[in-house]
Amino acid sequence: MSLRSKIILSLVFFFIALGVVNCGGNYSIPNDHIRIHLDADPATLNPMTATDAYASMINNYIFDTLIEQDKDTLDWIPNIATHWDISKDKKVYTFYLRKDVKWHDGKPFTAEDVVYSFNQVFMNPDLKAPHLKSYYRDVKRVYKVDDYTVRFEYTKKYFRGIVMCGGFPVVPKHIVSQYKDFDASPYSRHPIGTGPYKFHSWTTNSRLKLVRNEDYWGPKPEIRVIEFKVVADRAIALQILKKGELDVSGLSILQWARQTRTEKFRNKFQIRMYPSTGYSFIGWNNESPIFKDVRVRQAMTHLLDREKINEKLNFGISTIVTGPFFPKGKQYNSSIKPLNYDILKAKKLLKEAGWIDSDGDGHLDKDGKKFEFTYLFAAGSKPAERVGTIYKEQLKRAGISMKMIRMEWAAFLDKINKRAFDATTLAWSSPFESDPFQIWDKSQAKEKHSSNFIGFVDDEASRLMREAKVEFNEKKRNQLYWKFQDIVHEKQPYTFLFNSPNLVAVSKRFGNVKTHTAGLELKEWTVKKSQKSKVEGQRSKVPPSPRLRRTGTGEKEMP
Amino acid sequence: MLAYIIKRLFLIIPTLLGITFVTFFIMKLAPGDPVKLKLMFVSEGVSADALAAILKSENPPIELPSGYVRFAKKTSDVFTGAKSTDKEYEDDFVFKSFKYIGENTVFYLKWLKNITVLDFGRSFKDRQPVMQKLKSALPITLIINILSILVIYLVSIPLGIWSAIRKGSVIDKIVMVKLFIFYSLPTFWVATMLLMFLAGGEYLDLFPVVGYRSDYFDQLSFVGKFMDVSWHLVLPVLASTLGGFAFLSRFSRSNFLDVIGQDYIRTARAKGLKESKVLYKHGLRNALIPFVTLMGTLLPALLGGSVIIEQIFSIPGMGMLSFEAVLARDHNLIMGIATISSLLTLVSLLISDLMYVVVDPRIRLE
Repeated sequence: MSLRSKIILSLVFFFIALGVVNCGGNYSIPNDHIRIHLDADPATLNPMTATDAYASMINNYIFDTLIEQDKDTLDWIPNIATHWDISKDKKVYTFYLRKDVKWHDGKPFTAEDVVYSFNQVFMNPDLKAPHLKSYYRDVKRVYKVDDYTVRFEYTKKYFRGIVMCGGFPVVPKHIVSQYKDFDASPYSRHPIGTGPYKFHSWTTNSRLKLVRNEDYWGPKPEIRVIEFKVVADRAIALQILKKGELDVSGLSILQWARQTRTEKFRNKFQIRMYPSTGYSFIGWNNESPIFKDVRVRQAMTHLLDREKINEKLNFGISTIVTGPFFPKGKQYNSSIKPLNYDILKAKKLLKEAGWIDSDGDGHLDKDGKKFEFTYLFAAGSKPAERVGTIYKEQLKRAGISMKMIRMEWAAFLDKINKRAFDATTLAWSSPFESDPFQIWDKSQAKEKHSSNFIGFVDDEASRLMREAKVEFNEKKRNQLYWKFQDIVHEKQPYTFLFNSPNLVAVSKRFGNVKTHTAGLELKEWTVKKSQKSKVEGQRSKVPPSPRLRRTGTGEKEMP
Repeated sequence: MLAYIIKRLFLIIPTLLGITFVTFFIMKLAPGDPVKLKLMFVSEGVSADALAAILKSENPPIELPSGYVRFAKKTSDVFTGAKSTDKEYEDDFVFKSFKYIGENTVFYLKWLKNITVLDFGRSFKDRQPVMQKLKSALPITLIINILSILVIYLVSIPLGIWSAIRKGSVIDKIVMVKLFIFYSLPTFWVATMLLMFLAGGEYLDLFPVVGYRSDYFDQLSFVGKFMDVSWHLVLPVLASTLGGFAFLSRFSRSNFLDVIGQDYIRTARAKGLKESKVLYKHGLRNALIPFVTLMGTLLPALLGGSVIIEQIFSIPGMGMLSFEAVLARDHNLIMGIATISSLLTLVSLLISDLMYVVVDPRIRLE
């Protein structure tokens, strides 16, 4: 017995000793080294086949695009291409490339790389890049005019054509041409680009490291090493942040409101808030017998107290949106005011639509049928559950019963696909300037697997969207979109919910952390000089001068 | 004995086939598949129609033997009256069912053919070979589980015996109540509390919060590496063992009590042996035999990682891998994991049967 307790005791001591010993050997991090939180591992870093947000965030540092978006005005500005032309018929785009751009292995970047990437890599039937392929299916051909001039030809006019061509992922010909099966090649886990950071290493589901490209053609950022750390649990990520093992982490609204208010936290971290793209909504199945009546949909919006939900669940920092565009962008029609919470008005609308409490049981009914419907949402989506619970109570007061159905993600999508729902809640995320065609056009309403799964059909809205698609004058185009939004607002196919800001905590080790319309820009951040002496021994030379580029540490929650 | 082993080894094959078939069946019946999941994530300016067409060309439909198709068409004709055009067949329920069954059968058979050369195919998520994914996730899960099981056994068996000797005393009851309190604490709560109080930095900062090794792992010496991994694993192992003590210590306590009541123990005492010798030589050895049965469940338990522990401590092990595979309907990966773990379960059952012969001379296997 005594022997056994000795073993146990010594084991306990061993563990404590382990803690103490290792604690003493704490590793100090060089100042120009930044550690960023990722919620999950990217599936691949191959710029052609990657589809997740994590990959695009990382590839943003490794790859350059021909043109890029200004962080404040959201206009398109030169990057690898110094300037570009659009032909008179708006179908041919010519890009003039910089001559001093080099791949990370030192080989020059030329028009040949762009042409090869498109014709040999991208058009190769073996490349499994369905999303990108359908995205570029209207590109007729790509060819080089000379070594530093490349031309894209479209089959039809499209206002986003220049953006799409300018954002085409280019891969190095001299490397990629070695691989037979590009898709499964080592390149997918070891990308080589032209961007300000080079890929260094990747441990699956754990960490991913980039180092600064010392031969970068543009101004070099001050931060020398970027390390992405995968921490699946948000609460734990915050714990690690507080402990000082992360420098940048997205915060949920609840964390921001409740767990970052201490002075200790505010002394160590600066918090940035910037608008996200995308919005959440409750979608009404426009083909269901109940919700095909526009008056019922309007009434449903009047019955949801969005102000109060925003206040209670989001601490009042989200914006109630009225249309499908980026609220800070030029496409968004800000003259539309959201429908207010108004039970009387809702009851009036419902009465007009024929829904009254004829038998006096407190439930609305029509033709002998009670007003009952299902609210379908994906399991694990807390906002959807919370909004649903509040909504359910509010509807009960108006004599409507709502049944909440929670389903696992794949099963949920299956239901959506089959249109087997009355109401559902989801969120769309979209670029700063977007084309609403795919979600709202009538032609999409009947398609299988379509994004217009609520079956919204409106001739006038479709006409406006089709007209806007080929309108190259920005002002005129946006006016068309404003009119389109008026229709969407009137028909209420969705009850639009919120656009929530991204919240990010950044260590005070870094300076010049500015908030742009498009988010934060890690490349302009400065490394605080005052603390440098502490870790002088571990640092290599750091050439100064910041440069612009986007970082996307903010992560959205699905509602 | 040898004949018995060979017989058992041959029996593994049909059992394994049955397991993979049932797994495949259940997996296919679940709603949603990887292609459909991809389809729902259309980016802007992409029509679902076009995407579906491209996906279809990338994942061509499985070719069915022409004889089978003819048979399906004929059966369909019998059920619905004569039909002729191919277009109509596509919508016919009977024909569709035949096609569905046929395609899945062909898929399953192809899969079976491939695993005979240990080719589990590629994951749908990132096109990495399934084998490679298993190889990277397995070691860390094995280490955590071996350590946890070791700790559980090392603590609970002595504890069970210790309280068996003190049967009915107050201290026996106190220990058991405590163990049941541990047993009823949810793992995610224990893990989060451990992290907050022992690693968070706000209270104590003894252990790391995430992962199973440090950033500077590669620069360490062998001993350093060992220490580093053990240091990282203290909290995960602790969190996953706490709940396990109750069952095993109760088990060993009752076993020990059973044995102590036997006649041969009385005989040993009667012939004047020292009490310690009676308990540990005659008692303990016999009390340990039932643990061999438990060994049979040990290996599969070693392989299945805990999703909760792995998620909280950000450890890329088997639990997360299988969980994500199921959510993404990653068929090849699911089948790979199921096959490997069921194979190991079968082998470990065989081993535990053989162990009986080793520990208990009364048992003979024919």
